Amino acid sequence: MFSRKSRADGGLALLAALALGLYLIFLVLPLLLSLRSSFTNENPLRATNEFIGLRNYREMASDVQLRDSLVFTLTLAVGVTLAANALGVAFAILLNRTHLSYRVMRTLAFLPQVLSGVIVGFVWQTILTQDGLLNNVLTSVGLLDEPYPWLGSPRAALVSIGVVLTWVLSGFTTVVYLAALQSVPIELNDMATMDGVRGTQRFRKVTWPMIAPGTTISVTISLITVLKLYDIIAVLTGGGPANSTQSTALYIVRLAFTSDRLGYASAVAMLLLALSAVVALAVTGALRRREVTL
Amino acid sequence: MRSRGRTRLIVAIVVTLVFIAPIYLMLVNAFKTGDQIRANPVAPPLPPTLENLTTALTRPDNLIPLGLRNSLIVVVCSVALLIPLGSAFSFYISRRRGRVRAVILAALAAGLMIPPQVILLPTIQILTWLGLDHSYPGLILSNLGGGYLSFAVFVYVGFMRSVPDEIVQAARMDGAGGLRIWWQIVMPLVRPATATVAIFLSLWIWNDFLNPLFILGPLQGQTITTGLYLTIGQYSVDYGQLFGIMFLAGVLPVIGYLTVQKQFIAGLTAGSTK
Repeated sequence: MFSRKSRADGGLALLAALALGLYLIFLVLPLLLSLRSSFTNENPLRATNEFIGLRNYREMASDVQLRDSLVFTLTLAVGVTLAANALGVAFAILLNRTHLSYRVMRTLAFLPQVLSGVIVGFVWQTILTQDGLLNNVLTSVGLLDEPYPWLGSPRAALVSIGVVLTWVLSGFTTVVYLAALQSVPIELNDMATMDGVRGTQRFRKVTWPMIAPGTTISVTISLITVLKLYDIIAVLTGGGPANSTQSTALYIVRLAFTSDRLGYASAVAMLLLALSAVVALAVTGALRRREVTL
Repeated sequence: MRSRGRTRLIVAIVVTLVFIAPIYLMLVNAFKTGDQIRANPVAPPLPPTLENLTTALTRPDNLIPLGLRNSLIVVVCSVALLIPLGSAFSFYISRRRGRVRAVILAALAAGLMIPPQVILLPTIQILTWLGLDHSYPGLILSNLGGGYLSFAVFVYVGFMRSVPDEIVQAARMDGAGGLRIWWQIVMPLVRPATATVAIFLSLWIWNDFLNPLFILGPLQGQTITTGLYLTIGQYSVDYGQLFGIMFLAGVLPVIGYLTVQKQFIAGLTAGSTK
């Protein structure tokens, strides 16, 4: 029993304590400091750092840039999560075969996840920009008369970023749904076949319920990924045109490092944290209940 | 039946090709001249040129060699420290009472969820207090305490639960201490967990962007991701040069993934179905 503590256990306890200490110093403490800073007007440029109570939080209520960033972020999060999970399920069903060529395709499907956000943003920028590869191809085959600004107007930029993120996340969702599909017992599929259940009915009654655990993890991670995303948007549009693609994560970094408004940046960060927590808990809760009832 | 199988294969191949088209573009255009790219970005590189790669490698600012070296240092040090820290911590708490374990795991779960922007500023502040701001030890240290540790602990705890208690008891009877049991008996039994942790953490830390950008700052040299980001503007016209740089920056993680893809997918599968 471990309760009979020997001197030799000291080393292990020390290592464990070191790990816990690092977590406290580099995760818990920053969180508390950020919370504290959100009640101040901390600004290194103006050398102010006083407690101002809830003033930052009141300012957030009337901050148009913040409101726009939240609308953009949530629209993107919901749209991309739906698209990436629908594509992931479809792709997984399509690739759920054991033949070598299918295994090669499964390997390739995950590739977007391996590249850094900076490279992904970069590649897509060369494709989507005004004189980019997409316009180049579309105009040369006559589908477009003149280059279309895929990243140049607010709405087109929103859709373009959505497509890029869906592409990245689909690699992940496909692998998760493939794993879920492979955990469906073969007998269940055989039984469905014998009972003559096919097509959409089979998907609704057999496949979809069985991959419910995969849905929980895949949807939650998709949402959280978009909520904290920084690099891809920073490279693709930098938040433009006219701040229309400035996500809340980008806005926080701009407030902190460009405007030097550390106190206010911390308050917005607290809002993003609360939003992530609520979304993660609500979605996992709802989807888990679904797992049980099915 | 056979024709249905063939239709499915054709559909799957077409969909996969469309899906990886951006990666195809990145690959072929790295070996084409600027004129070839402008003429037809989709065409294969015939004849291929290595000019983009050699120009990228011999830039006066040493972007690629320095960036790769710096990224490698950060990844190797961080992962080499995260594995013993994470596994020792997991072994320690996996032998505690259920309630204690549940509370600690819940606290660690928060680490996986917190947006990095929320803790970035205070982390830099703490590193300044320690005299480690804008330094590689500072960046590595901050990697050890954040969400990466949470991930390592979650993977290890899952695996360590399946290590039979009898093995640990028997070793204890033979007089082995906690450290020895952990390192010589438990660690070899949870090798798949170590593989999963090492693979995913290497990839994530390699691709990390926000922390190196702001914790290292512009004066300390760049990792490959931040170096790439900061040089983007200069090459908006020269596509050949740009694709050459991107190819060199992206090729290592892709080779790494293709080499260990079996363990990679296995790790993801175990994590998502548990």
